[in-house]
Amino acid sequence: MIRLENVHKSFGDLEVLKGINLHVKEGEKVVIIGPSGSGKSTLIRCMNYLEEPTSGKVYIHNHLMSRSRRAFINKIHSSMVFQQFNLYPHMTVLDNLTLAPVKLKKIPRKEAEQTAMGYLKRVGLEEKAHVYPTTLSGGQQQRIAIARALTMQNRIIFFDEPTSALDPEMVQEVLDVMIELSHEKNFTMVVVTHEMGFAREVADRIVFVDGGVILEEGTPEHFFTNPQNERTKAFLSKIIR
Amino acid sequence: MSEIQGSLKMITNGSVLLYLIKGLGFTVVIAVFAVLLGLVIGTILALARNYCTSKKTVIFKWLSTAYIEIFRNTPLMLWIFIGLVYFPSVNVSAGFSKALGLSRTEIALLIKGIIALVLFTSSVIAEIVRGGLNSIPKGQFEAAYSQGFGIVRTLTLIVLPQTFRNIIPTLLSQVITTVKDTSYIANIAVAELLGRTFQVIQISPRYTGFTSQNVSDVFVLCGLACVMYFAINFTLSCIVRRLQKPKVRKPVSV
Ligand SMILES: Nc1ncnc2c1ncn2[C@@H]1O[C@H](COP(=O)(O)OP(=O)(O)O)[C@@H](O)[C@H]1O
Ligand SMILES: [Mg+2]
Repeated sequence: MIRLENVHKSFGDLEVLKGINLHVKEGEKVVIIGPSGSGKSTLIRCMNYLEEPTSGKVYIHNHLMSRSRRAFINKIHSSMVFQQFNLYPHMTVLDNLTLAPVKLKKIPRKEAEQTAMGYLKRVGLEEKAHVYPTTLSGGQQQRIAIARALTMQNRIIFFDEPTSALDPEMVQEVLDVMIELSHEKNFTMVVVTHEMGFAREVADRIVFVDGGVILEEGTPEHFFTNPQNERTKAFLSKIIR
Repeated sequence: MSEIQGSLKMITNGSVLLYLIKGLGFTVVIAVFAVLLGLVIGTILALARNYCTSKKTVIFKWLSTAYIEIFRNTPLMLWIFIGLVYFPSVNVSAGFSKALGLSRTEIALLIKGIIALVLFTSSVIAEIVRGGLNSIPKGQFEAAYSQGFGIVRTLTLIVLPQTFRNIIPTLLSQVITTVKDTSYIANIAVAELLGRTFQVIQISPRYTGFTSQNVSDVFVLCGLACVMYFAINFTLSCIVRRLQKPKVRKPVSV
């Protein structure tokens, strides 16, 4: 489904990813954890080519990613949810959800709107269809962003710290939506997060990244009871109170 | 009869007043036209300067950068004179000339002035648009790319609409500046307000009843021009100020 082969990424002299090999299977829920600045965002952003690797290969569904194929591959295979929501502020919530399906997938507007309303209902925000995103709380905006990701009906969803910009009381409402999504067998989810409770509940596999390499990976069971790497242990002891 | 009374007779003379009001009309139309066309050209320049960064397109970045910097850093008056000598003389139809109430030679000169004004104004607007583009958060591009939009539709559907909305006050301020800039055209053509004001001053004795011009003629006519420019621009300034007032955000509900 998603395959990274020896991916390196540098920003100028700073080498952020130092040879990442990762294979995410169809329907798998992978949670990426690691200290801040370790390269988690860069890693997940290489998967949909928001960052172009300096070297190495990224395959999505056996399509080799490239700069010129990014738009096409993202259109048919993946969606992304960002830390800062990144909703389009000049459009209503409903237009945010229908823009890509109508413009990219050529779905008739009426049909796209019906689909969008369905997803809004699913994230519990049907009544917000006609307001502008900036009038909503962070938690609501992030749920809208998840609904927007779903409207493309792609099988892969990337989440880059979706709850890190939220006030604490709004974290759970977003996690609840993500947990509900994780029950869908055919969704492939790659999630960067510091929410260990979520990771434990949802992850098929946890990947620990530090210093631009994958130091350890395994099931939540493995991670929370029997981590091997010293750095993993140190990280987990800091983050689990 | 005092000199000032003679001068005032000019602006109570219906045909003189109408002549000057038409001049104001030309001024406003030229300024709005220059800003609108400047917005089209300026947007293209701004997009080229900002986003033509790949090897194949970088030439457009350099061309547009050169254009913007050359026009922004040289006086408009210079380009009006260069235009007077080098820009083509456009021959309009007799009907058009009649409709505008300007001679065909006058129109040809006016068009040269307008071209210079548009070239100049588009360089200024290009930088306004670029400022707007640069203030759009990177996340907007990333959201669009992650959905599968390419650069063209990311710009047209997501980035430019937000950019234009954000720069409306600055563009209106530019209309104010351009209204004032139209007066440079008075140096080569008699159509807009200042050119016509000079024209009336030259022939003032026809209306004042005196045998030669008086200082008070200049005072009255320039005073009137002043009032007219002020009325237009002050109104625009008030609109700009209202638009720039920070909007009261609806309190966020949880
Ligand atoms: N566009 C960029 N330009 C330069 N440096 C960057 C850029 N993006 C990330 N970095 C650097 O790469 C390192 C890893 O960043 P990131 O992948 O965001 O880490 P994480 O998400 O794990 O906190 C950091 O040191 C960061 O400063
Ligand atoms: Mg990050």
